[in-house]
Amino acid sequence: MDRMTDAGGADDVRIAYEAVGLSKSFSSVPVLRDVSINFQPGEIHSLVGENGAGKSTLVKILSGVYALDKGRRILNGEEIGHLTPAEGRKRGIYLVPQEPRLMPDLSVAENLYLGALPPGRLRFTVDWKRTRDAAGDLLATVGLHVDPRMMAGQLPLAHQQLLECARALAHGCHVIFFDEPTSPLTAHEAGTLFALMRRLRERGYTLGFISHRLDEVEDLSDRITVLRDGQVVAEHERGVSRSKLVEQMVGRSLIVTKRAHDRGAIGDVVLDIVGAKSAPEVRSISLQVRKGEIVGLAGLVGSGRTELSEAVFGLRPLQEGKVTLNGRDITGADPEACISAGLVYLAEDRGRNGIFAEVDLSGNATSSIIDRLPRRLKMLRKNATRKMARDVLETMHVRAANIDLPIKSLSGGNQQKVMLARWVLAHPKVAIFDEPTRGVDVGAKEGIYEIIENLAGQGLATLVISSELEELVRLCDRIYAVYEGQVVGELADDDISVDAVGQLAVGAS
Amino acid sequence: MITTRQVDSTSAHRSSVPGTDLVGVGGDLPAQRAWGIRRSRLRAIGSRRELQILIVMVVIVVVSGVADPDFLSSRIISSTFIAAMVTAFVALGQAFVMLTRGIDLSVAPILGLSAVIVGFAAQDHNLNMWVGLLLGAAIGLVLGLGNAVLISLFRIPPIIATLGTFSVYGGLQFVVTGGQQVNQVPDQYTRYGVATDTLFPGVPVLLIAGIIATVIAGLVLAYTVFGRNVYATGDDGEAAFRNGIPTRRITFVVYLVCGAFAGIAGVIYLMRTGSADSLTGTQTNENLNAIAAALIGGVALTGGRGTALGAFLGGIFLSLTLSSMGIAFGIPNEWQPAGVGVLILLAVVADPRARSAGLTRLRTFRLRRSTR
Amino acid sequence: MSTSTIAVGRASRMPVWGSVLAALVIAELVYFSLTNKNFFGGGSGMLTQIELFLPTGILAMGAAVVILTGSIDLSAGAIASLSSVVVGTELASGANPVVAILVALVVAAFIGLVNGLIVAVFGIDSLLVTLATQFIASSVAVSLAGDSPPQGFSKRFIALGQGTVAGVPIALLIFLAVTIGTAVLVGRSGFGRRIVLTGHNPSAARYSGIRVARTLVGVFTLAGLISGIGGVVLAAYFNAGRSDSGMSLLLPAITCVVLGGVDIFGGKGRIGEVAMAVLLLGFLTQGLLNSGFSSLTTTMVTGLLLIVGLIVKIAFERQSGESVFAVLAKRLRRVGQRGEVPSRS
Repeated sequence: MDRMTDAGGADDVRIAYEAVGLSKSFSSVPVLRDVSINFQPGEIHSLVGENGAGKSTLVKILSGVYALDKGRRILNGEEIGHLTPAEGRKRGIYLVPQEPRLMPDLSVAENLYLGALPPGRLRFTVDWKRTRDAAGDLLATVGLHVDPRMMAGQLPLAHQQLLECARALAHGCHVIFFDEPTSPLTAHEAGTLFALMRRLRERGYTLGFISHRLDEVEDLSDRITVLRDGQVVAEHERGVSRSKLVEQMVGRSLIVTKRAHDRGAIGDVVLDIVGAKSAPEVRSISLQVRKGEIVGLAGLVGSGRTELSEAVFGLRPLQEGKVTLNGRDITGADPEACISAGLVYLAEDRGRNGIFAEVDLSGNATSSIIDRLPRRLKMLRKNATRKMARDVLETMHVRAANIDLPIKSLSGGNQQKVMLARWVLAHPKVAIFDEPTRGVDVGAKEGIYEIIENLAGQGLATLVISSELEELVRLCDRIYAVYEGQVVGELADDDISVDAVGQLAVGAS
Repeated sequence: MITTRQVDSTSAHRSSVPGTDLVGVGGDLPAQRAWGIRRSRLRAIGSRRELQILIVMVVIVVVSGVADPDFLSSRIISSTFIAAMVTAFVALGQAFVMLTRGIDLSVAPILGLSAVIVGFAAQDHNLNMWVGLLLGAAIGLVLGLGNAVLISLFRIPPIIATLGTFSVYGGLQFVVTGGQQVNQVPDQYTRYGVATDTLFPGVPVLLIAGIIATVIAGLVLAYTVFGRNVYATGDDGEAAFRNGIPTRRITFVVYLVCGAFAGIAGVIYLMRTGSADSLTGTQTNENLNAIAAALIGGVALTGGRGTALGAFLGGIFLSLTLSSMGIAFGIPNEWQPAGVGVLILLAVVADPRARSAGLTRLRTFRLRRSTR
Repeated sequence: MSTSTIAVGRASRMPVWGSVLAALVIAELVYFSLTNKNFFGGGSGMLTQIELFLPTGILAMGAAVVILTGSIDLSAGAIASLSSVVVGTELASGANPVVAILVALVVAAFIGLVNGLIVAVFGIDSLLVTLATQFIASSVAVSLAGDSPPQGFSKRFIALGQGTVAGVPIALLIFLAVTIGTAVLVGRSGFGRRIVLTGHNPSAARYSGIRVARTLVGVFTLAGLISGIGGVVLAAYFNAGRSDSGMSLLLPAITCVVLGGVDIFGGKGRIGEVAMAVLLLGFLTQGLLNSGFSSLTTTMVTGLLLIVGLIVKIAFERQSGESVFAVLAKRLRRVGQRGEVPSRS
């Protein structure tokens, strides 16, 4: 049977998708402001911008994952009102997410047709043969040579990502957004994906693409839109220079306040990491942080910065390397031992690994120093604990009516200050702050910078991980750039600039 | 409007599977593909829990037969199967619930209530057996409906809701009996519970009934849209819901199914023992036995994994192990529960995915609370 | 430097749910005293009413601690049985009561420790682990008890289950001691902070430097110990080491914990409220029994109370102002409206 004829509709399909005046806020922090953008058939349209620029939010709104606050979505000239991911799929819109979300215990074939299994002769049954055959063909199309009957959970992450793409095709979607699909893929695997995207483009599919790797973007895109701080700053045809893109992404015009060197002297090395390895993300990283110094770790998401911190803090195995704190070997210490040795780590994912959402502020602030809480006759003194927490929260200008409120009732910035208070209470010698201003609104960022600077001024050796270049430039005395699990460069004092750091972070030099 | 709809509607057969219109766009099939599939398929079969159980069961039978040749007699094999059927039926229902990440602790009193009500009707009014089976299933459905309402509509966590109905139904069972016992069940029921009355040597009629039930349950789970939605709901409820699967309706229905199976198991209990009282089911820990059977059969407590066949074999495996311990090796009865306990631990430890450390990366993204 | 001010109010506020439970306890005491002459018995009689229920109450404390971490312990009943048999056989073989009790408690705590180690080291769901150890512990108990369970203990020992001090049953005092001990441990110790935080968010607890695995091992060991205490009281109450005595206590104990407002997913809950739920259920079952209802009718009432209590509590928490029945009606409508087969494209 000739599939091409049988498929009938293999003619080019042309659907344009347009957004007009989109705005979106998360708990009153604006993420997108009046964004208008269109996606044309037969075209790969890339979105670039720094972390937090609003790229992901934009495609999530376009595919129905998030509701929009303001604006219109127009598919083929027809305005779409309310949109859910399932409805979007029916209309032919699919988002390939950053982290594939498949059913690990269901077969590859079934994952492809989840929610739309082809019915058999009886309406309530599933035609497995047809599902498997179709799945096999689709898998071949995307270049994934696996048994469709295999469990999806057994596939490596890269294959799961390709499976997500195949799913878009299985559902007959012709507007497909890719939200950083390549971050978990190797270059070869990414190549397969790109070949697929090009073929889809030839067939008239409408494709949106997000990536941090500019070489990929340049290679693939027909059009490139630059987003910054939730706004469209420029739109280019292919062939635009990379330096221009970087310039627009980081926003040269924005004046970066570089703090004055008035914090007091930088002392001896406190934290010394030599040849740290934690497979697969961290290959070999050595770095030092001195007393009173703020050191930055720049790099792409997935470059191994967080994994390094977690390995040092005893949250994941450290296969090789040595960690010393003031000359004392703390290699392989678990988090509790690290804290008592004077090393603390502010986790990146505040919602999952930071806050105890339902617990009050004092409980959240004191969770790292349970053994050191005030006691009388070996019993915890609740009021003394609460006052202790209150005092430190007030020095950080946490805005909250009451110490007994659950932390989830606070804004992101205030939550983060409580997290900082947690680690300040532990009286650390070294602190690793992983994305300290993630999910924090602009107004509160400065407050957090001041807290970090004050701590460093008091002699804290500080390591800051951030994907926001301005933040690193604003805070750091020295910056290491990490690329694919290795340190690729180091900048200090006057050499530090957004451009220089940005170039190093994308592995450009 | 030019959309893909025409793609879907042009051809009657094949192209109603969306996406296949793309075939040929890139399709370069490497030669080793077929071979690779066959190999991975073999490996997959080898690692199937059902097969492992069958092998272990054969080993147990052989070893028991060597230790005590009497163990291989038709009577003992047949009675082992009959003893297994009560648990196996409950386990089949429990499997539906566990596949959605739920749990039903109330199956023991559901079984008991069905046994006493049908038992009294049979004893006092000589109720026809087939009507009795239907009545048992209906009782189970009604009681299952209680669970379904609490869990699916009120969103009470399954373990708590069924803990509550466990007490309520247990009390009802006592009220229904009024302190009396069923012990004169007509022969049309009990003749199926006689170990010497077999179709072929070692094959009692009830085993055939169990196999039919397993085949039906297995077909429903494997080949119907409902069945697949059960798996999807348990595997990742949130994602399933986002994919347009009516997860709450699925949750609702599985507790009905589970109740119906427990109700039928109650009638089978009557056939086997010819008696029932206010503690039937609860006394023998039938709820925990059924969960144990399903677990041993490879149905995961975390949902989405397992088969009807596995649950059924798990029930037989439990019964076989216990009778082997007791008959062939003379281990006292009181150690039977310990045997069950060790089996559960072995079944869990043998399954690397039951450990949180060994979970796939996909799973770690899930919230514990998304049980419904 | 402008400072924001964060109020530090009074440490303990009146727990709403606990107050509701307490009011219900008083109401049922008054009701049974008025309707049933046997019940009141001059105050002391009323207190001895609850004796039979106290082992359940003690088990509930252990279950509460485990559930606070987000785990569950199904082996509590079997551990209690085992402990009861162990103390019985020790006494029957002429051991000193103190030694006998200690041996029983060590055995109980050991099984708890095994539970904890398997849960923490292998990372296996506690439901599975304790389901298995429950079977194993009860086998050991049955086999140890043999055909004729040990019985006929010294008066001093029996007093633990049946005796009174100044009109107050000793078993009640033991229950109160366990309750206060547990409450202090959960509310006023570092271990308790770790338990609660682990229950709220195990991952964040790990990132805070809490040794989650160690905490779990401690919790299960403690739960085993408490179940052991329950078993000793059981043996004293029945004046026999019966191997079947503990199993039936498990589900009522968990019912008390849940009715006492402890979140089955961990973190939230107060020991004091669990104690209130124990008193509520204890007096209710005894009051009903005394009023001529059968034991299983009371079980049914227990279950109903659990379900209704939860529905009310969930409705409270929703705070939508809708009545429970309005919510039910809405949900029923919604289910009715669901399409037939999941949508396909």
